[in-house]
Amino acid sequence: MDSTLFLQQLVNGFSLGSMYALIAVGYTMVYGVLRLINFAHGDIMMVSAYAALFCITSLNVPFLGALSLAMIFAMVVGIATDKIAYKPLRKAPRISLLITAIGISFFLQNLFNMLFTSTPKAFLPPAYFEELINVGGISVTFGSLLVPLITFIIVVIVLLILYKSKYGIAIRALAFDVQTVNLMGIDANRIIAMVFALGSALAAVGGVFWASMYYSITPTMGTLIGLKAFAAAVLGGIGSVVGAVIGGLIIGLTEVIAVAFFPELSGFKDAFAFIFLVFILLFKPTGILGINFEKSRF
Amino acid sequence: MRKSLVLITCLVAALSAKEIRVGVVLPLTGVTAAYGQSALEGIRLANSLQAILQNGDKVNLVVVDTKGDKLESSSAANRLVSQDKVFGLIGEMTTANTLQVMRVAEDNKIPLIAPAATGDRLLDKKAYSSRVCFMDSFQGASLAKYAFENLNYKNAVLVLDQSTDYSLGLARAFEKEFNAKGGKVLKSLRINSGDKDFKAIIAQIKGLNPDFIFLPLYYSEASLFVRQARNAGLLTPMASADGVADQSFIELAGSASEGYIFTDSFDSHNPSTKLSKDFIANYEKAKGTKEVPNFTAMGADAYFVMFNALNACVDNLTPVCVNEKIHQTINFEGVSGIISIDKTGNATRSVVLKEIKNQKQVFKDIINP
Repeated sequence: MDSTLFLQQLVNGFSLGSMYALIAVGYTMVYGVLRLINFAHGDIMMVSAYAALFCITSLNVPFLGALSLAMIFAMVVGIATDKIAYKPLRKAPRISLLITAIGISFFLQNLFNMLFTSTPKAFLPPAYFEELINVGGISVTFGSLLVPLITFIIVVIVLLILYKSKYGIAIRALAFDVQTVNLMGIDANRIIAMVFALGSALAAVGGVFWASMYYSITPTMGTLIGLKAFAAAVLGGIGSVVGAVIGGLIIGLTEVIAVAFFPELSGFKDAFAFIFLVFILLFKPTGILGINFEKSRF
Repeated sequence: MRKSLVLITCLVAALSAKEIRVGVVLPLTGVTAAYGQSALEGIRLANSLQAILQNGDKVNLVVVDTKGDKLESSSAANRLVSQDKVFGLIGEMTTANTLQVMRVAEDNKIPLIAPAATGDRLLDKKAYSSRVCFMDSFQGASLAKYAFENLNYKNAVLVLDQSTDYSLGLARAFEKEFNAKGGKVLKSLRINSGDKDFKAIIAQIKGLNPDFIFLPLYYSEASLFVRQARNAGLLTPMASADGVADQSFIELAGSASEGYIFTDSFDSHNPSTKLSKDFIANYEKAKGTKEVPNFTAMGADAYFVMFNALNACVDNLTPVCVNEKIHQTINFEGVSGIISIDKTGNATRSVVLKEIKNQKQVFKDIINP
């Protein structure tokens, strides 16, 4: 394992991990305010990838425009999911919410299966995604540098919103104590809708990046990515935004490093990521930045 | 008088003409849909060319979609046998799903012809199943031989999909032959169907610096692999088997597919039989292009072999007789070349080697058994 190879793998791991991180942040925020594992989150990512594809191929929107439209579309889907499926269950046992989330996930997958068939659709990224950049013996595509960079910027923006804005305070207050927030005259449902919008927008960025990096999309693409992102959120400490990002990067890097150190076992790279997850949870049951939910504040 | 007699016999024939059903079980949606759609086109066109048996009976197709799924394949075949009372089955495309259809065919003693399932041991101890394609080991071994002798590659890396029988069989056969010739397989790296990110594996291969990479994968994974490899500056020659013999591979891989070679069973630019020329002419009429995809030709051949067997049995049409005749196919001049089917149901045929140039499949060479 020489140093250039290691560097190459590091870049690979970071670009993969930051996509998981983008999805994981949405998981963690929704969990923070609703204590709900939103299993439809991976499918929101899929939905937005299709929205971007539709904008590019049918409406001839340029890539950045398609990305923005996909984000808006994802926000609408995210808020609608909350309004239609989760809001009526605010007072219901948490397990009902979870089952509903799984139902929404199946609904979205099957809907898009009907609309676009289950055949993979080719997604053509803009040319600069595949520009080769050579740095000290390693060659990487511009895309695999761009993705972690944009992810970093977006996460910083999310943290600023959470810690520096009025709404952020409301979100954190909501995560802390729903009843009191209502007493303070804050409309809890509006804040929850905001969290869904924010998480879904991030999922859309993740989805469009994913499609651009891997050139094709299918209605079931959200399942495994969603599962890994969820694992990332748990690994980082569910409820913590920074934790979700760290978790995402760790899962991405683990997959890549597993291949690097055990090439013969490369077919089991997914298993490595999850074994690592179990290993961490044995020592830190609440995840790396484990949050004690009695005092949760993102 | 004469005329009316002819008319009457025609009428009688038309009235007494029965409908003979042949079941078609293919993945028309799902990940392997491109294969199924291609094959179905061939089967439909073949059926439009030859549908009336000697005694005036008409062969009709009953088509069912398997969605590329094992369970669906099995239930589709069951439905065709029990409800539609088919005399023969044609289908699936992948080895794993064909196994499911085969189980139904064997249990009900209905002959099955597989157009494209190349799994080596697929036909072990099977009495009612046969195929018109070659088997994996034959493809893998042919390519290994060719890579070592004609292209002078002395060492290779394999990237195989550990979740498909197709990939494992091909890889095994390639390695065996390549080693026997004196070549060296440096490493076998494993992936899973549905994997998207091969950058880590590609980085490892770069470190090994092989002469050649053999990728016995289906098109969705292979196209991603080659594109990511070229992007990572890995320019080693690569080859696959017929899993990439589809336009989708080129569409998804884009310009990264340049120079990629693969084995296949048929080349539409070099038709070798009369039926092949006729078929291509008809295909052009229907589609406006002479480029008959490989799986379209294989689907057509599966139908034609089935049709000839039905024809040979007209006096006493039973699935058992049809099955016997299929297994006695010798030097049948089909669309995809000359095919013989032996007692085991396996086909003996030549392998075509193709190269992708300017996003087109180009004939490169032919490897004879």
